[in-house]
Order: sequence, then structure tokens, then C-alpha cells
Amino acid sequence: MGSTEGWIAILSLALGTFLIRYSFIGLLAGRTMPPWFERTMRLAVLSIFAALVVPLVVMEHGVASIAARWPHAVAALATGIVAWRRGGTVLPLAVGMATLHLALQAKALID
Amino acid sequence: MPRDGGCQVAFRAGARRTLAIAPSYLPFGMVCGLAAVQAGLGELGAIALAGLAFAGSAQAVLTQFMQSGAPILVAIVSGLIVNLRMAVYSAAIAPRIGQARQRDRLLWAGFLVDQTYLFEEARHAQGEFAGHALAYYLGSACVLWPMWVAANALGAYAGALLPGHWQLEFTIPLSFVAMVTPMLRDATQRATVVVGGIAGVLLFAMPLKLGLIAACLIGVLAGLAFDTLLRALKLHQIQRGPDDGQY
Repeated sequence: MGSTEGWIAILSLALGTFLIRYSFIGLLAGRTMPPWFERTMRLAVLSIFAALVVPLVVMEHGVASIAARWPHAVAALATGIVAWRRGGTVLPLAVGMATLHLALQAKALID
Repeated sequence: MPRDGGCQVAFRAGARRTLAIAPSYLPFGMVCGLAAVQAGLGELGAIALAGLAFAGSAQAVLTQFMQSGAPILVAIVSGLIVNLRMAVYSAAIAPRIGQARQRDRLLWAGFLVDQTYLFEEARHAQGEFAGHALAYYLGSACVLWPMWVAANALGAYAGALLPGHWQLEFTIPLSFVAMVTPMLRDATQRATVVVGGIAGVLLFAMPLKLGLIAACLIGVLAGLAFDTLLRALKLHQIQRGPDDGQY
């Protein structure tokens, strides 16, 4: 990857993100948006996280495989349950990573 | 912003409360810094990305995509979609700051992230530090921003020393799970996530890594359709009312 391309990515993300942050505070100050607009944006955020996370969890070398990735799926589930019940980030992550390594050990024994 | 004692008290309170939660961002910041180096941005690029974008999830999405060989435009757009939630925060804060000066608006916008927004929400809900909201907010930002940049720098320079078999990169999807799960408050949102996730797997092989954006759209459309259906059903029930025996 050329470093020019990297800097274009960095500056574009920074500028675009600032414009999103500044949108209603500055650019559209005093204007209210219809309720469907906010609802749709929240759905877009949830949807892109899901579309990103699920392949990272269940796919290996571009193929979805429960046999290969069940430890990762169980770890993600554990993190989700802890986050749902307790919130925060440190505890869900710690539980998820501990679960992952226990499950990987179990998988090594089974395989 | 009036410069009186209340202003300093608010600033210190914001800083103190943020300091209490700041360590929870350390691991994620380190992983983001490491991921940026692995994506070919270099150590300085990783630090610049953290400092200028100041948005962990979007940084992680951008670098994951660059590393997987996606075109740069797709990586940038994906990162920005993740940050659309900040428009929701911006819309929530806008009416509160009313006739604020331009300089104050830039400060509000510049440091708007999940955590500073959550602190501002809590402050607003409890009616604390009225008249010193910006000082409280900046107190929080003055702890969070340097800490975030430092964590990314640490990950960029020292992250590669961590053993690979720890699979620390898996903390990125896990931190997304931890962030999204508490946001799922109704059936429409859950339907969106399920459809978006399945579409993400099915469309994974789409050329130019466009599968993510396509899957995101499919998830949103499914959520909106589900929402419309739910509303229609509820309206139907209300119209039927108590004497539904006639049907």
C-alpha cells in the first residue's frame, strides 16, 4: 500500500467524521429532522456492525464454517450476554477472550 | 462560556469522572493502533488516525478493510457509515446549545464521541452544571482524547510484541458486539441486525468488498419493512377495537 493512499484514507475519515459530528450542531443548526431520519440512521449503524461482525466471527478463509469457528461464535455470544446484562466494555471483552481460549483448548482436544 | 468558579468545578468534575472510566478504552485503543500499522499506515499514520478521526470503531473498520485489500473508497465509506451514529448525537445536543458561538460549536463537534456524549446525556438528565455544560464536556474530552491517542501509539509501537496466538485481534469484533448488544432495544432493531449479519456472510465474496455496504442496505431495508409491518398490525388491532367478534 502506498503511503499516499494511507494518508488519503486517514484525512478523509477524519474530515468526513468531523462533518457528521458538526452536522446538526453547526451546518443544520436550528433545523429539526423528521423522526424517520433518526430511526433510519440508527438502523444503518446497527446493520453495518452486524454485517461486519458476523463474517469476522463465523468465517475462515472466506467460507462460513461452524466446525472451524465455533469457539469464536461461543466467545462472541458470551461477550454479547455479559454486555447485555452488565453493560461496559472491559468485563464483556475479558469474558469473551477467556471463553475463546477455553473453547480453543476444548476444540484442540476434540480435534 | 462565563469564566467563573462554577466553570472550573464543572471542568474538573468532567475530567475526574472520565478518568474513572478511561482505562476501559486502553485495550481497544492499543488494538486499533496495532491494526492501523498492520494495514500499512505506519506508526505516525496510526497516531494521526487516532488523533484526527478520534473514533475507535471507524478506525478499526477502516484498517480492517484496507488490510483485506478493499478499495480505499469502500474502506472510507464503511468507516463513515459506522460514524453515522454521531449525527444522532449531534442532533440531540444541537437544541441544548441554542445560540452558542461558532467557536463553541466547533468544540462541541470536535470531541463528540460515544463516551463524551453519554456524559453530556447524563449531565443533562440530572440537570447538573447548568450554564457550564461545555466546561464539563471539555473536562471529559481533555482526559479522553490524549488517553485515546496514547493508547493507539502504544499499540502501534509495542503491539507487535504481543504473541499472535493470544488472538488479540479478535477483541475488535468482540468490542463491536459489546457496543451493539445494549443498543438493541426493540424487535425492529433485532430484525435489522439478524438480516444484516446474514447478508454480510452471504454477500462476503462480492467484488471490491462492496458486500458490507450492500448487506448494510439490505439490513436497513429489512428493518424498515419490519417496522412498517409492525405498525400496520398495531393499527389494525386498534381499529378492530373491543368488538372484534364481528370479524
